[in-house]
Amino acid sequence: MTSADRPREGTLLTSSTTAATPAAAPARAERARRRSAGALDTRRQWWGWLFLAPFTVVFVLFLLVPLGYAFWLSLHTKGIATGGESVFTGVANYVRVFTDADFLSGMARVGRFVLVMVPIQVGLAVAIALVLDTLATRLSKASRLLVFVPYAIPAVIGALMWGFLYSPRFGPANDLFGLFGLDAPDFLSRDLIFGSLVNIVTWQWVGYYMIIVYAALRAIDPSVYEAARLDGAGNRQIAFRIKIPMIASSMVMIVVFALIGTLQFFTEPTVLRSVAQGAIPTTYTPNLYAYSMAFSYSQFNYASTIAFALGILVFIGSYVFLYATRKQSGLK
Amino acid sequence: MTTSHTSRRAGGRRLGSHVFLLLAVLYFVVPLWWLVVGSTKSNSGLFVGTGGALWFDDELALWDNVTQLFTYQGGIYWTWLRNSFVYAFAGGVGSTVLAVLAGYALAKYRFRGRNLYFSMLLGSVMVPLTALTIPTFVLLSQLGMINTMWAVILPSLLSPIGVYLVRVYAVDAIPDEMLDAGRVDGAGELRLFVRVALPLLRPAFVTVLLLTTVATWNNFFLPLAVLRDPQLLPVTVGINQWQALSNAGAGGEQVWNLIVTGALVSILPLVAAFLGLQKYWQGGLSLGAIK
Amino acid sequence: MRFSTRRALAVMASGLVGLSVAACAPGEGAGASSTSCTNEIAKPDATRVTLWAWYPAVEQIVDRFNAEHDDVQVCWTNAGQGADEYGKFSTALEAGTGAPDVIQLESEILPTYTILDGLTDLAPFGAGDLADEFPAGAWSDVSDGDAVHAVPVDGGPVGMLYRADIFSKYGVEPPTTWDEFAQAAQDLRDAGYAGFITNYATNGGAFNYALFAQAGWAPFDYDSSRPAEIGIDVDTPAARKVLSYWEDLVDRGLVSSDDAFTSDYNTSLVDGTYAVYIAAAWGPGYLEGLSDADSGAEWRAAPLPQWDPANPVQVNQGGSALAVTSQATDPEAAATVATELFDDTETWHVGVEEAGLFPLWNLALEADWFTGRRYPFFGGQQVNRDVFLDAAAQYPGFTFSPFQVYAYDRQTMALYDMVEGPATAADALATVQDGLVRYAEQQGFTVR
Repeated sequence: MTSADRPREGTLLTSSTTAATPAAAPARAERARRRSAGALDTRRQWWGWLFLAPFTVVFVLFLLVPLGYAFWLSLHTKGIATGGESVFTGVANYVRVFTDADFLSGMARVGRFVLVMVPIQVGLAVAIALVLDTLATRLSKASRLLVFVPYAIPAVIGALMWGFLYSPRFGPANDLFGLFGLDAPDFLSRDLIFGSLVNIVTWQWVGYYMIIVYAALRAIDPSVYEAARLDGAGNRQIAFRIKIPMIASSMVMIVVFALIGTLQFFTEPTVLRSVAQGAIPTTYTPNLYAYSMAFSYSQFNYASTIAFALGILVFIGSYVFLYATRKQSGLK
Repeated sequence: MTTSHTSRRAGGRRLGSHVFLLLAVLYFVVPLWWLVVGSTKSNSGLFVGTGGALWFDDELALWDNVTQLFTYQGGIYWTWLRNSFVYAFAGGVGSTVLAVLAGYALAKYRFRGRNLYFSMLLGSVMVPLTALTIPTFVLLSQLGMINTMWAVILPSLLSPIGVYLVRVYAVDAIPDEMLDAGRVDGAGELRLFVRVALPLLRPAFVTVLLLTTVATWNNFFLPLAVLRDPQLLPVTVGINQWQALSNAGAGGEQVWNLIVTGALVSILPLVAAFLGLQKYWQGGLSLGAIK
Repeated sequence: MRFSTRRALAVMASGLVGLSVAACAPGEGAGASSTSCTNEIAKPDATRVTLWAWYPAVEQIVDRFNAEHDDVQVCWTNAGQGADEYGKFSTALEAGTGAPDVIQLESEILPTYTILDGLTDLAPFGAGDLADEFPAGAWSDVSDGDAVHAVPVDGGPVGMLYRADIFSKYGVEPPTTWDEFAQAAQDLRDAGYAGFITNYATNGGAFNYALFAQAGWAPFDYDSSRPAEIGIDVDTPAARKVLSYWEDLVDRGLVSSDDAFTSDYNTSLVDGTYAVYIAAAWGPGYLEGLSDADSGAEWRAAPLPQWDPANPVQVNQGGSALAVTSQATDPEAAATVATELFDDTETWHVGVEEAGLFPLWNLALEADWFTGRRYPFFGGQQVNRDVFLDAAAQYPGFTFSPFQVYAYDRQTMALYDMVEGPATAADALATVQDGLVRYAEQQGFTVR
């Protein structure tokens, strides 16, 4: 802790204390604060680390150590024809990955997924939550639960199920389109697979995001709306001018969830690949590419490089987003 | 005049809203309906059934399918389901406890390296899982834990996002002055945590528990890599293996009916838990909102 | 709303206890991973050999082996089918630990692991003497000169399975050459058949290799004794001829281009959408799994159509072998398992009747019970005698690359481009050729 932190902490403390407690308390708290800033500080520091310790052990063991090893791998190269000798090659793998057309096209595809999937999920979640917020009928209560149910289904099972549903002859698509006298499109073809994947993820996650947004909406004091109504605001205006700004922090949270999920897109394409190997090649997303490199081609060094390169790009992307929205996400 | 006008408009909007909701519900429920219908069909019924994909066949094979789940490969399906429970419970509870402790420390204690720690934590949320699988595998084999339940449980204790949520929540939910007042009264730090912080952190606790339990229940990649004994697999990997078996062809057995029925049975516990415990989680999930 | 801390702690504590108990329960010694077998070990004191295999009915076969051997016991696990198992094996090789003693591998994947030093040469354990027990082509697939990388188990000689009822309904004769096949495709369509004569699957890596090989295609020149050299010759006239043939049939809409081995493909196989299923000998087993679907179907087997009926060529798709890994704790005991697990007529009764395997063991291939076996699924036809035995005997062997999964994946991508887009057969083959040469050079091969 720096000395610059202290006064700010002090003012924060006193101001909230005066607001919250009877007259006698501030003095006591003030005394405690002074003491804590002094001798007890080291012991308090120690306690902080103690509380952190269990998590830190897991964090180091299952994240930092593997990450370090993966980084080491990415700096070495082992060709399958070179007798299993691992050679230090520095950044050569990184040069290769950032000029690898397969990696770059996978990255571009992930970028498209972000641009399409995140707005659809967040938009749909907010729309449903807003509708639910204005209705208080039995239907709306039941809908809230039913929309949420897909979240309780493991991604693998969900993707497997949609794989069946997309199959033109095995699934119901032909029956449904047949009602309108149409032939069902092939959802697993190259042209439609992108939308098919977007659909699976949307189906699975919108309910969860919706619940978060809905809870945030319920937490708004209704008197705000009444005041707005007196000023002549309609429902739509209330939704866009009052409700959405007031739930900004929740929306940032779900965008972060959606963003991270999308950038690491893996399970759904992997499972769908078993019914659409042509439309989902092994290079479809960088994660899939890294996985095939490691587990199908025994290219562990290059696989680590791909994963790291992806990690770097994801990190930059998420960091920019979090920085831009730091006020709403509580990281200020 | 005015009132009737407004109510008529409101009525129209309510109708529109209900139609929108109905469509949304259809979208979310129809796939599940297919799963329910599919689970009542025999293997051949799934392929050339009489009722089409969205309706029941003349013959209901649900009972046969469920019995087959008990007998096929020695009823291994139920072992998988039990494993999933163990993993979800251990991973969920364990990682939540660690996350609450860590999040509380990061929010309420000032110590050297705290900001760095928090930044590292945030960064780690974004690490792709594939980057960790190989090294984690090597590490677990050094520890002699490959192909044991620990190989799944221990890595799932890691939930940086849980720590992040608890930290964000704890900053505001636990007033510093309450802690300080407790210290003045001579309470130890552990006692403060248990008596003061924990009750206030309940919503965060519930949210993180929910998140991590669901995450472990959904776990696919890790068990796929570190387990090979079929008796240890969680149900997600197991069913996927049945799918691979049915797809592979080579002398393969066709168990599509078991895949569909197994998928349905496997989602029931979590769906039931969510529906039964809604009053607990609906409040907890609002964590971002309460802020 | 009060959250009793004592209760909370009690819950956590009981949770942790519960989990440690639960975690210990199933494995009986959760720490010692190598000892968890799916089968019962009959003689606990004997040397244990771990085995990964996915054959159907393998448990019965393992039990038979264990009952008959006093010094060696097999501890079997199904670590996944094909690619799943290979992924685990590759990881174990990279980690230096975790591989089984004996592993089931398809013969096409053997060079991939010999070059990674993943397999133990079985010649020092006398495996070279076994050459006479197997068809020549099968043996050449598992050996290189004197080195024996694995022991053949089952094979996939390719034949043509067809719907006799559909052919007779539309008055078309089952084809015996590829020219006749293309004609039959058109005739069926003209006669009003709404389905496709067959399917051309772009994801059928091994299937396409077999079709190309029939026209004389030999894309790789590779020998494990000179592991860093390889010849790559994918884009040849033979391959172009075969691929253009199928591209034409797909373009004319006579042959569909669905992915193989999906639920949709299965539907088409059993509901009469495909009239022909070009299949390896294990194909009938696959179909039989779906056989109750269409009671009107009359499946029959015939030899694979030929390019030149005067010089028939037979091909193989799939099949597997048992190899001893380089991490085997007792290579000699492991070699015993690899060579003797299927070295028994009774075992092969199980393998054929319960698992639907096609044996690559001469004593089984020559036995009357096998050659004369009637298959109810084929209306009592003796398909082994009629089709598959000849195919197996005449299969000359095939050289695969030491990066076969990569080669298959690239081929799938290129063929999919061809079927879906404007690319031609020649484009697709050129793409694969370039991609493989670049990859091989990147991996340190000298490309001849």
